[in-house]
Amino acid sequence: MADAMGHSATATRSTSVAMGFCVLAVAPQIFELIWSFGTIFGWGAGRGPLQVVAAHAAALVAGAPIALLGAAGGDAKKASSDVLLALIYSYPLLAVAILTLFMTIRSAQDYVGGIVLMALALFALWASSDLQGMRGFSFGAGTAPRMFGGLLVALGAGIALTGLLSDGPAMAHYSWRGPLFVMASIVFFALAIRPLGVVVAAFVSFLIAAMGTHETRWIETIIVGACLTLGCALLFPYVLGLPMPMFPRFLAQ
Amino acid sequence: MDLFANLAHGFVVAFSPINLLMCLIGALVGTLVGVLPGIGTIATVAMLLPITFGLPPVGALIMLAGIYYGAQYGGSTTSILVNIPGEATSVVTAIDGHQMAKQGRAGPALAIAAIGSFFAGCVATVLIAVLGAPLTKLALAFGPAEYFSLMVLGLIFAVVLAKGSVLKAIAMNVFGLLLSMVGSDIETGASRMAFNIPELADGLGFATVAMGVFGFAEIIRNLDAGAEMNRDLVQQKITGLMPTRKDLIDSTPAVLRGTVLGSILGILPGGGAVIASFAAYTLEKKLAKNPSRFGRGAIEGVAAPESANNAAAQTSFIPLLTLGIPPNAVMALMVGAMTIHGIVPGPQVMQKQPDLVWGMIASMWIGNLMLIIINLPLVGIWVRLLRVPYRLMFPSIVIFCAIGIYSVNNAPVDVILAGVFGLVGYWLIKHDFEPAPLLLGMVLGPLMEENLRRALLISRGDWSVFLTRPLSAALLVIATFLLVLTLLPMLRAKRDEVFTESEN
Repeated sequence: MADAMGHSATATRSTSVAMGFCVLAVAPQIFELIWSFGTIFGWGAGRGPLQVVAAHAAALVAGAPIALLGAAGGDAKKASSDVLLALIYSYPLLAVAILTLFMTIRSAQDYVGGIVLMALALFALWASSDLQGMRGFSFGAGTAPRMFGGLLVALGAGIALTGLLSDGPAMAHYSWRGPLFVMASIVFFALAIRPLGVVVAAFVSFLIAAMGTHETRWIETIIVGACLTLGCALLFPYVLGLPMPMFPRFLAQ
Repeated sequence: MDLFANLAHGFVVAFSPINLLMCLIGALVGTLVGVLPGIGTIATVAMLLPITFGLPPVGALIMLAGIYYGAQYGGSTTSILVNIPGEATSVVTAIDGHQMAKQGRAGPALAIAAIGSFFAGCVATVLIAVLGAPLTKLALAFGPAEYFSLMVLGLIFAVVLAKGSVLKAIAMNVFGLLLSMVGSDIETGASRMAFNIPELADGLGFATVAMGVFGFAEIIRNLDAGAEMNRDLVQQKITGLMPTRKDLIDSTPAVLRGTVLGSILGILPGGGAVIASFAAYTLEKKLAKNPSRFGRGAIEGVAAPESANNAAAQTSFIPLLTLGIPPNAVMALMVGAMTIHGIVPGPQVMQKQPDLVWGMIASMWIGNLMLIIINLPLVGIWVRLLRVPYRLMFPSIVIFCAIGIYSVNNAPVDVILAGVFGLVGYWLIKHDFEPAPLLLGMVLGPLMEENLRRALLISRGDWSVFLTRPLSAALLVIATFLLVLTLLPMLRAKRDEVFTESEN
C-alpha cells in the first residue's frame, strides 16, 4: 500500500464508514419497521409500523438513558426489550461510529470486517439477554451464548484494531449483478415451490439466475433450463421418492 | 486376528450389488464434482444429503464417502490438463502437473497422480481398519472434560491451518459456535435467539449454512470475475499414459512421504485433505536436491500432494468413526447423514453397527479401484465436460441446490436462509474471512457446549477440572502450544510463505 497516497484517501473515507456504522446501529430497528408493514396487509402478527417507530424512538432517545442512569444509581429495574436493544446494540455501535470519525483507517477491509462481526456479537448478546444465566454452578440456557458472544465482541474489536494499526487492503469491490439475480432466483424458488410446483419454480428460477451474467445467450439457456427442469422433475419425486408438488396447484385440481 | 475377520465381513457387505452400485455412483459423482470447478465437495455432499433419505444407511454412507475421495481424484485431472484446480485440494498439483502437460507429458502426470492416489488410498484403508479398534478403546477413557479439550484442540488446528490472520480464523470459529446455539437449548428446552420464528426453533440446519456459505457464495463470487473463465485447454492428444522407469523411481519416495504426511494430517481434527496436499508439496520442495525443478514440471510435485490429499480424505474418517467427532466440514455432513438414519456417531458405532463401519472401510478400497478405472481410460470424457460454459453451469447449480435444500425439510424458509448465508459467505470472502473454521465451529458447537456443561456439572463448577485431568490437560497444552507457535513471528512468516506459494 502506498502510504502517502493511501492516508489522505482513507482519511476522507472514514466519514462514509462512520455513516455506514450509524445505519448498522439502527439496522434491527429498521428491519422490524419494514417487517411491520406486513401487518397492514394482515400478514404475520406483531406491532404495526407506527407502534414500532414510537417504541424504538422512545427507547433510543429516552428509555435507554433513563435505564442507564437508573442502573448507575443502583436501581436495577427490568428494562423492556426495546430499551435493551438500544443499550446493548445501538449505543455501542453509535459510539464506535463517532470514534471512527477521528480514526485513520489503514485497512478498511479489516476495520469494517471487525466492527461488523462485533455488531453481530452484540446483537447475539441482546438476543440471548432474556435467557437464564448461571444457576449456582450449572449453566443456564443463556450462559454459553453470552460467553461466546462476549468473546466474539472482543475478537471483532481486536480485528478492527489491527485494521487501525497495520496497513492492509482497502474494501474489496462488490458487484451487484451476480448477488442480485442469484438471490432473486433463490427467493422466487422458495416462494413458488409450494403454490406453483417444481416445474414452474425451477424453470423460472433458472432463467432469473441466468440473468446474473451479461454473457447469457437466451436460446441455449432456455433449452438447458428446460432439460434441467425435466431432469429434476423426474429425479427428485420419482427416482428418489421425495414428495414435492409438480405442477401449479390451480392446474392440478 | 479380529482385523481380518472384520475386513472380510466388510468386503462381504461392500460386495453386495446395491452397495457396489452406490460406491460406483459415489465415485462417478465425486469425479464429476472434482473435475468441474466452481462446485466443491462440501456443497455436493450437502446437496446429495436429502437424496440418501430413501437409501439404506450403509449404501448412503458408502456413496457419500465415495464422493469425498472421488473428488480428490477428479480435481487432479483438471489441474494437470487445464490448470484449473477443480478442488482446493489439487491447487498445488496444478503447479507442476500443468507444466508437465505443457511439455507433452500429461499422460505420465495423470498416471502418477492416479497411482499415487490409489496407493495412498490402500494404505489409508488399512490404517483405518488397524487404528479403529484401539482408538475406540481410548474413547472409553474420555469424559466430558476430555471431549471438550479435544474439540478445543480441533478448533485450534483449524485456525493454525487456515490461511491469513489467526485472529480472523478464531473469530470465525466463535461465530460458528454462536450460530450453532440458535434454536432450542438441549437441556432446558428454552428457545435461544430464534425470535419466535418457528423454523428456527430446531436451529440452523448445518446443510443449509454449508450450502449457503460454500455453494451460493462461491457462485456469486465466481460471477464477479465474469462467467467466462479463461481455459487454456491442452489441446494435443494425450499419448502414452505409462510413466517411464525414471518417473516411477523419482516419484516412489514422494508417494510414500505424501501418504504418511496425509494420513497423519487427516486424523488430526481440523486438518483434512486441503492442508495435507499443501504440506506434502512444501515438504518435497524442502527435501529435493534441486528445488528449482519445482514449478517446471517436477513429477514429485504431482505425486506427493495427490497421495497426501487422498490419504487425508480417508483417514479423516477415523476420528468420526471412533470418537464421533467430525474433523472437518465434509465429515460433519457425514454426521448429518448418519443422524438422518438414526445412527449416533461415536465409539459405540463400531460395536453396534459393524456392517456400516467395516462395509464403508472395505468400500473405500473398492472405490479406489473403481476410480483408477474411471479416471485413466476415460480421461478424455472428463476433459470434454470442461467445455460446458459457466454461464450454463451456474444457474443449474443454483436450481439443484435450491431443490436439494427444500427437500431436506420440505421447508421454503430453509431455501431463503441458505440464500442469506450465501450473501454472508460472499461478505466473508470480501473481508478475507475463511468460511471453513466457521463451519467447523458450527458443527462442534452443540457437542462442545454439552460437554462443557456436563464437565462443569460433574466438577461442581470448578473450571480447573480441564487441567487436573491428565488427558484433558495434555490436549489443552498441545492446543496452546500450537497457537503460540503460529503467533511466533518467525514461524508466521513461514506459514504465510507456504500459503502464498500455493496460491500462485
